[in-house]
Amino acid sequence: MTEASPPPPSAAGSLDYRVAHFAEHLASGDLAELGVRLDLRGDTVLLTGTVPSTQCRDHILRMAREELAGHPVHSDLLIAGTSSPDHGEDLT
Amino acid sequence: MIRVAAVGDIHMGPESQGTLRPSFETLPECADVLLLAGDLTRHGTPEEAAIVAREIKDLGVPVVAVLGNHDHHDERPEEVTAILRDAGAHVLEGQAAVVTADGARIGVAGTKGFGGGFVGRCAGEFGEPLMKEFVRYTRRSADALHSALKDLHEWDCDVRIALTHFSPVADTLAGEPLEIYPFLGSYLLAEAIDTGGADLAVHGHAHAGTEHGMTSGGVRVRNVAQPVIGQAFHVYHLPGRHD
Repeated sequence: MTEASPPPPSAAGSLDYRVAHFAEHLASGDLAELGVRLDLRGDTVLLTGTVPSTQCRDHILRMAREELAGHPVHSDLLIAGTSSPDHGEDLT
Repeated sequence: MIRVAAVGDIHMGPESQGTLRPSFETLPECADVLLLAGDLTRHGTPEEAAIVAREIKDLGVPVVAVLGNHDHHDERPEEVTAILRDAGAHVLEGQAAVVTADGARIGVAGTKGFGGGFVGRCAGEFGEPLMKEFVRYTRRSADALHSALKDLHEWDCDVRIALTHFSPVADTLAGEPLEIYPFLGSYLLAEAIDTGGADLAVHGHAHAGTEHGMTSGGVRVRNVAQPVIGQAFHVYHLPGRHD
């Protein structure tokens, strides 16, 4: 019966659009961050990639949890390594 | 043997000052030159460029850089370039530079480059003016890289290196979503490298990519984006003239 059918989800509230807008905000915001990959895993948003600092990672996570409130956010973000290599690659 | 250190995509911001300097200070022990493959800043502001400048000043090895798309975001690439040059770096856009180390002449031809994609899966110079300009911009960049490599050929260098921000090949993008490859590089850059001649091509931009690749003409390509190499820089050993 049509009366029993659930209403269609609001397009504006769809998680994929919210994730797309979050990606735009990451790029246009203070961090200019384009290196974070955002994937949907069911109802969860998975963040992967490497960012310059722990401050950046924490800022991104705060933004994600605010903008994607109501959905679990899982972070696998890494911090860029700053050590010296102990050997070179031989191309001779 | 000539030792080439390289890194790109260091994306320095206010909290970054000093994070790379300790590793960079080891460069005189392990490298003859440091190449910076663009995206040195986050927004391309003079303030961020000054942070990079302090990180690379007086390292004891020559520094050669190209800018990346992030370094253009604030639309002041000339100011960013000037600040890095004041710190002693050679900043290239369609130009070549030769630095010397123990008598060896290391030639670097550099350009930021741009996107468009790779053979069979690329944008064409067709249709709307904006689309045509997109491809023409990349073509101009590739042409300038080719000219700069030809200059190096005449300048009697021991090694010639092509330095770009965008990738010349798809190999080093492995790990990135296929859908965004056209925004990560262009085969026009590889064609310029193969026809102009180079011993090594170095680029950044593709954070989720792979370090190793090769052009159709057999030139080795290395993606040195900091997230890819996982360190402050990587070093490549190339044969010198007398090796």
